[in-house]
Amino acid sequence: MNQPFSIAPPPLPICDPTTAIAISAKGLHKQYGTLEAVRGIDFAIEQGELFGLIGPDGAGKTTTFHILGGVMEATAGEVIVLGRSPQDARSVTGYLTQQFSLYLDLSINENLQYVAGLRQVPDEVFQQRRNQYLRLMDLDRFGDRLAGQLSGGMKQKLSLCCALIAQPQVLLLDEPTTGVDPVSRREFWDVLAELSADGMTIVVATPYLDEAERCHRVALMYDGQIQQIGTPAELRVSLGLHRLEVRTSQLAATERVLAQASETDGEIADVQVFGDRLDVLVANLQRGEAQLRFLLRQHQLSAPEIELAEPTLENVFVTRLRQQGAAPQFFPFPRSRGGNQTLQSSTSKTQNSVAISAQHLSRVFGNFQAVNKVDIDVHYGEIFGLLGANGAGKTTTIKMLCGLLEASSGKVFLGGETGNLRSADLRRRIGYMSQKFTLYDDLTIVQNLEFYSGVYGVPSKLRREKIDWVLATCGLVGQETMLTGQLPGGWKQRVAFGASVLHEPDILFLDEPTSGVDPVARRQFWKLINDFARNGTAILVTTHYLEEAEQCNRMSFMVAGEIAAEGSPSELKAAQPGQLFEVVVDRPQFASNLLKHHFDPWRISIFADRLHVVLDHPDQEVAGLRSLLTSHHLILHSLRPIPFSLEDAFIGIVKRAQENR
Amino acid sequence: MKRILAQCKKELVQFRRDRLTLALAFLLPFITLLIFGFAIRLESKDIPVIVQDFDHSNLSRSFTERLYGTNQFTPRQWSGSNPARDAIDMGIAKAAVIIPPKFSSQVRAGIPTTIQVLVDAADVNNARVVQAGVQSVTNFFMQDQRLLPTTSTVTAHTRLWFNPGRLESLFIVPGTFGVVLWIFPSLLMAIAMVREREKGTILQVYTSNISAVELLLGKGLAYWLIAICEAILIIGMGALLFHLSFAGDPTPLLFGTLIFLADSILFGLMLGVKADSQAEAVQGVSLIGFVTSLLLSGFIYPLNNIPFPLSLVPNVIPARYFIDISRDAFVRGTGWAGVWLSVVMLFVLGFFFFNVARKGLDRMQLSD
Repeated sequence: MNQPFSIAPPPLPICDPTTAIAISAKGLHKQYGTLEAVRGIDFAIEQGELFGLIGPDGAGKTTTFHILGGVMEATAGEVIVLGRSPQDARSVTGYLTQQFSLYLDLSINENLQYVAGLRQVPDEVFQQRRNQYLRLMDLDRFGDRLAGQLSGGMKQKLSLCCALIAQPQVLLLDEPTTGVDPVSRREFWDVLAELSADGMTIVVATPYLDEAERCHRVALMYDGQIQQIGTPAELRVSLGLHRLEVRTSQLAATERVLAQASETDGEIADVQVFGDRLDVLVANLQRGEAQLRFLLRQHQLSAPEIELAEPTLENVFVTRLRQQGAAPQFFPFPRSRGGNQTLQSSTSKTQNSVAISAQHLSRVFGNFQAVNKVDIDVHYGEIFGLLGANGAGKTTTIKMLCGLLEASSGKVFLGGETGNLRSADLRRRIGYMSQKFTLYDDLTIVQNLEFYSGVYGVPSKLRREKIDWVLATCGLVGQETMLTGQLPGGWKQRVAFGASVLHEPDILFLDEPTSGVDPVARRQFWKLINDFARNGTAILVTTHYLEEAEQCNRMSFMVAGEIAAEGSPSELKAAQPGQLFEVVVDRPQFASNLLKHHFDPWRISIFADRLHVVLDHPDQEVAGLRSLLTSHHLILHSLRPIPFSLEDAFIGIVKRAQENR
Repeated sequence: MKRILAQCKKELVQFRRDRLTLALAFLLPFITLLIFGFAIRLESKDIPVIVQDFDHSNLSRSFTERLYGTNQFTPRQWSGSNPARDAIDMGIAKAAVIIPPKFSSQVRAGIPTTIQVLVDAADVNNARVVQAGVQSVTNFFMQDQRLLPTTSTVTAHTRLWFNPGRLESLFIVPGTFGVVLWIFPSLLMAIAMVREREKGTILQVYTSNISAVELLLGKGLAYWLIAICEAILIIGMGALLFHLSFAGDPTPLLFGTLIFLADSILFGLMLGVKADSQAEAVQGVSLIGFVTSLLLSGFIYPLNNIPFPLSLVPNVIPARYFIDISRDAFVRGTGWAGVWLSVVMLFVLGFFFFNVARKGLDRMQLSD
């Protein structure tokens, strides 16, 4: 095994120590009726800081934002924004709310003009800023397009433009990248890094922990309180655990053994399946690895391949929440057909048979080719990921596969049927969870579940048990008579998932099931999905969130209606040409702008105090990179190769596919 | 001021984009005008009446002819053992006139004679019309046959002012203006207001430091301009189709309309800031709008018929004052002298609506 690399390079001063505090909160409380949403939080954010607020759904993040934005009164406590009350500071605050705050029937220009008018931006300044920001967000060609016709990513960028048009000194962003594809997401964060370098104070809430890595400091919020504040590196160090990536051919059995051990053993802290590998957290490197190997030998399992990696912020997040007792519990699904013990036999029997298959599938809308000659094969017991940017054709493909939309050409084969995909018999074997919520907001949770179990023909004597399972899994026992519309988004997603599997489908379609779901719940989601797959269900899932795409056994990347790459996560990452480098310099923003001039802009992104750079021919280019940085008087602290993440691979594939067009 | 204009401009752009609200603003009011203008007729004409003549004399026949000679009654025939009763029971006739045997001989002999009139009084209004109609036919018949003294000591000599031809459209159409211009502008306004809350875009407004007054004035101004266009269309088309013309000074109508439209807009805002969904706003505004402007405004039913304490309500219904102004402009023509108080009342009510709406927005913050 390699020498463990240091967890963090020497910390760099992020802000000048003399800079002023832009936002401070002391003893902040907010009460809604009997519910205490925020229970006494304190923090201080420096001017020019990029501050992240992370936490599970219902932790009180949005409430905190509403108070900072001056649109809601705190019950108790003191909040100062730039020396004023938040309400008085509204003229210097930009607030991007969680829902799209755009007028969809207005064009980009009209939206901007309206906000500029509200905030009394002089006309000549407005024109100049409009051009500047639209160019920055790469929207300047679409000025007359209606906001309703923009993709999710473009909408969020426009919202950001609207928040910026009055040139605020403080920018509040509440989950700005939910529903935004990885390419846009990375561009969005590049813009934030640039703004923060120019001295803007930015507070951002996000459910995506890879984004939180790009913040200067992060506060972990849970149950209305801040549990921990620090730089991403500090948080990782404070965890005091090491992460081992374990690859083995007997994944499921290995996980069972290690999961059992993690409950009794002090050495192994946590185990999670990640597609074709396991992530294991251990307290002590040597002892942990020895213990792991020992356990596997003891159970006569094949020797694993072990690689050491840095713990991620997600590890920190999940571990901390687990300490709080906040992690949702896992309950096995009450199966009436087959069961967990038939796992081994059923896998050998069904693994080989194809559940979903598409050949040369195409769909044309008017003269727009939404999907072009797509081939997909999903076997029973397999999790197949369909990934792509907004508008790449994922949802159209999924709709054709489950028979909701007629294909223009090509063949679909679904659960043994080719012709009539809408037959009642076939539909009973299929579960579909769509991108938009499929629950009725004005019914209670239990009424929704009863409705769906009725629609799918679940025998009435099994209904109670299954509904109880959904409620227990979602942590909603005792609240089943609550109106569904009152649930936070992430919770609604969980109930919707429960509703789509009530009838034990053989084939399950999940269209962005975890959009807006917090990391802990997401983890539980994937545990459930894995559980269904192991029991022989074929699962086709689309997602934007590439960290979680690692959980898929196989996947396809779609770009502009076509499949650009296919394979297992490890294969895809290995197939990436070139190498990813982590560069630590003293002035990262300046270095980023410099490098974007000399390389393709997508190859460079800022992660808090360091840069990630993709080089196709590292042997020749590294020297040039070094000399370029030093010739501009930048001090290079470190430059080292790091493994590609799936997101890096995705962005590379998309950008290269676009270049070849 | 800049913020008010920015708000106003945005509303107008949004309004123009949405085909549905465009239809709601212009097509629907126009259709309503046509329906109300052509369909509402209060005068009873051509009431079916059956005559059972047991006399069969010249005199009885000429009485029957006289009865059917007016445009009020139209003849019906029925046979059977009891035609008068059966025709009324079966709804074939609304009234039956039974002329007894020996009718002509008794009249010629100067002996007081009765004819029986059976009226289906299920429809109260119709019954009253039949009663009065038969009575006046009888009187005229007597005079015509020289059965009454030709001179009497007191004669009421009636002159009809303002609408001598008793043209009903002159009564209905100016009132319809009040109903249509009350309901549709307020409906549009309420929808526009509540849509911001429903879609969550109101947060965008709250995060800027625009004040409640500026927001209301900006939104209101846009829809007031739209309402003025509506008013030009409705009043113009109404005047053209139903041959209305100004009876006197048009300036009270001009001022009155502008203030009345503002009232309508402010009423929509008042309900819009409190409603939580578009459905709620539409139901609230249209129900309150229709009930008050149709029933409690003097549009059809005279206000002095409403019993106390319900009779106090019309005092706070703007449509009532506008209908006064509109009827004055097109029918009475008395000008400012007749309607100045109505204009003042419209102003007062508008001020009240505005303040309630402003209070409804609290501090431009989310409520808990």
